[in-house]
Amino acid sequence: MNKDRVLTRVNEIFRDVLDNEHLIITYQTTANDVEDWDSLNHIQLVVAIEKQFNLRFTSREILGWRNVGEMIDSIIKKI
Amino acid sequence: MIFKLKDKFQQTFIVSDKIYKGFIKLFNDNNPLHTQSPFAHHHGFDEKIMHGNILSGFLSYFIGECLPIKNVIIQTQQIQFKAPVYLNDEIFFEAIVDGIFPSINTVEFKFNFRNTDDKIVSKGKIQIGILT
Repeated sequence: MNKDRVLTRVNEIFRDVLDNEHLIITYQTTANDVEDWDSLNHIQLVVAIEKQFNLRFTSREILGWRNVGEMIDSIIKKI
Repeated sequence: MIFKLKDKFQQTFIVSDKIYKGFIKLFNDNNPLHTQSPFAHHHGFDEKIMHGNILSGFLSYFIGECLPIKNVIIQTQQIQFKAPVYLNDEIFFEAIVDGIFPSINTVEFKFNFRNTDDKIVSKGKIQIGILT
């Protein structure tokens, strides 16, 4: 699966978890850019992504993400 | 991680008069389905039915008191009510670890409540966080 396709699927997950059907995320998006992307929703985002792509992140990976692009890089490495 | 996939937990509950009346006293839900047998009969039930969220209370007890650790918090919960529960029913609860997310210290359980006829009266999922 290419990076743009992963971004599309991750965007759908963000829309569902954050209840914002118009949300558009990019590789540069950070938590500061998205209303409601707080620590509790972050947990739900990680759970949903891990289920969707059938993978598991490490704590170190998650703590290292500075934006959506780095999150997607982690996904790409595991699928 | 203290939990493993497919770990199973079981508990028996009774929807006692004390719980039933306590629920009404606390939340003031006196809907006639829960308080008037003739009304419940008219709508197809054998007796007045118990509030579904009494089962949510049992779920809270399970998470708070029955797990091997106490540093847990409920993050999400989904529950379906599939069949009526009546006063003094004995209810068998079972929860199975259905997902473990170590990076965020999160565990997901599938659960169900069954009555003495082995009928599922309620089922759902509950996700907890393990506080560090």
